Amino acid sequence: MKSLRAMIFGAYCWVVYAFLLAPIFVVVLASFNSGAFLTFPPQGLSLRWYYVFFDNEVFWRAIRTSLWVAAVATVISGAVGTSAAIFQVRFAGRGKEAVRIAMLAPLLLPEVLTAIALLFFVYGLGIGTKGMVGLLAGHVLVTLPFVFMNVAASLESFEPDWDLAARSLGAGRWARFRRVMLPMIKPGVIGGCLFAFIISFDTFTMSFLLKSVGTATLPIQLYDYLRTNFTPEAAAVSSFSVILTLVVVVVSEKLLGLKIRRF
Amino acid sequence: MTRRAGPLLLILPAALVLTVFLLIPYFNIVLMSMRMPGNGVPYASGWTLGNFAKFFADPFYLEQLGNTLWIGAVTTLACLLIGYPVALQLARGAGALRGLRYGIVLTPLLVGIVIRSYGWTILLGNNGVLNRSLVGWGLIEAPLPLMYNGLGIIIALTHVLLPFMILPIMGAIQGIDPALELAARSLGAGRNTAFRRVVVPLSLPGIQAGCILVFVLAISAYVTPALIGGLRVKTAAVSVVDALIDSFQWPFGSAMALILAVIGGLVVVGFARLTRMKWVRAR
Repeated sequence: MKSLRAMIFGAYCWVVYAFLLAPIFVVVLASFNSGAFLTFPPQGLSLRWYYVFFDNEVFWRAIRTSLWVAAVATVISGAVGTSAAIFQVRFAGRGKEAVRIAMLAPLLLPEVLTAIALLFFVYGLGIGTKGMVGLLAGHVLVTLPFVFMNVAASLESFEPDWDLAARSLGAGRWARFRRVMLPMIKPGVIGGCLFAFIISFDTFTMSFLLKSVGTATLPIQLYDYLRTNFTPEAAAVSSFSVILTLVVVVVSEKLLGLKIRRF
Repeated sequence: MTRRAGPLLLILPAALVLTVFLLIPYFNIVLMSMRMPGNGVPYASGWTLGNFAKFFADPFYLEQLGNTLWIGAVTTLACLLIGYPVALQLARGAGALRGLRYGIVLTPLLVGIVIRSYGWTILLGNNGVLNRSLVGWGLIEAPLPLMYNGLGIIIALTHVLLPFMILPIMGAIQGIDPALELAARSLGAGRNTAFRRVVVPLSLPGIQAGCILVFVLAISAYVTPALIGGLRVKTAAVSVVDALIDSFQWPFGSAMALILAVIGGLVVVGFARLTRMKWVRAR
């Protein structure tokens, strides 16, 4: 028999969980509205706005841009962050804490300030926002800490003895990395890259300040759309994006048993 | 020699990325804040401290800075009060639902900020779910102003930043040996006393880390205040972007951004000092 206080405590926590889910829940609910405007409760359920969205080339172009930017940023962050994590855990010695803080700096500094700094920088170089350099650099910066944290966490449980054993058996440096270390830290690398991909796919501030004409990512396109339109099409696009993220997270959780390590 | 140089190659790419795309651009912002304001161009030649003087001489900007810090403080407090019980439940609880609860806590991090803010506009708008329900039930006569004001910004920011409060506190509570609480109970402390005198003090490092994170992220947040606050309520970060992008005042915008960052940093240092003093006394 639970005490009354335990029940009140449990109920309170569920209210907080409801609060956390509420804005996402209403967006998904609104996407099934059959009416022309956002009304609550929905005037009827239909997939009408999903059809509208599926026919809208503007959003598809934005989705393709988002996927492309996220993929490139993840590959770069994955390589750079993983090697930095290996250095930090295995070789940094007394500089370990300093390397960690430096690698987490993009997360600790205000994103909007970093974006502005990058904007000036690309203008200073004379390339401006014409190319994708600034945009990609921004996405690499925001995703790098996530790869680093995940890989560093999985490296902590890597025994240096394993490396020594492989070495005594005659394995070279590259073979030891590829055949011993990489398989052991794979969950951390994949988890970090996955998180990086999602962060890049969803990030707004960086893309907003560093985008060039024709490189609107999905969040930017959605933001532009919402400023002038109030149809549930935006809700359908949003739900699509949420479901995409959810599928990626759940599938990888089931396949790899990943824990998203953030702290 | 090669043995020392080899490992350094591992950190080289990261060092390059951080130097070229973070360190140099930030240094550049400091320089930019001391440039002469331009006329029709982003900045003119010559150096000045006038941009900082302009900020501190204008009551509009000072009031806005005060408002931003106030919103940050209230958001931090709200996150702490709302988040602590959930952190406690996640840290101590077990069972099949724990994974689900943990997943729910992470959702604000996994769903894009535009989508979340859009959800809040559906909920909080004058014609939104909340106001309609309240009017429909006859509880209020006219819609409550929940959006385009500080309250709306605080609600949405609290939602976005809750995970940053819950996760560090959860980590701290998980690190507390449950035997300590049992010991306190066996020595005659009631449930409340044991919680207040044992669990809360030992979770203070988590509370401190969570508060600092939430506060820093709240005062520098741009998208949420821009979308929820509309044109009427502007936080300092929104004004910075306005100055830089819309009115093209690069030196002044940079000065504003630096002032916001430095004052935020000072508040954090002050808070860290204060809470550390508390710990020492509690021991």
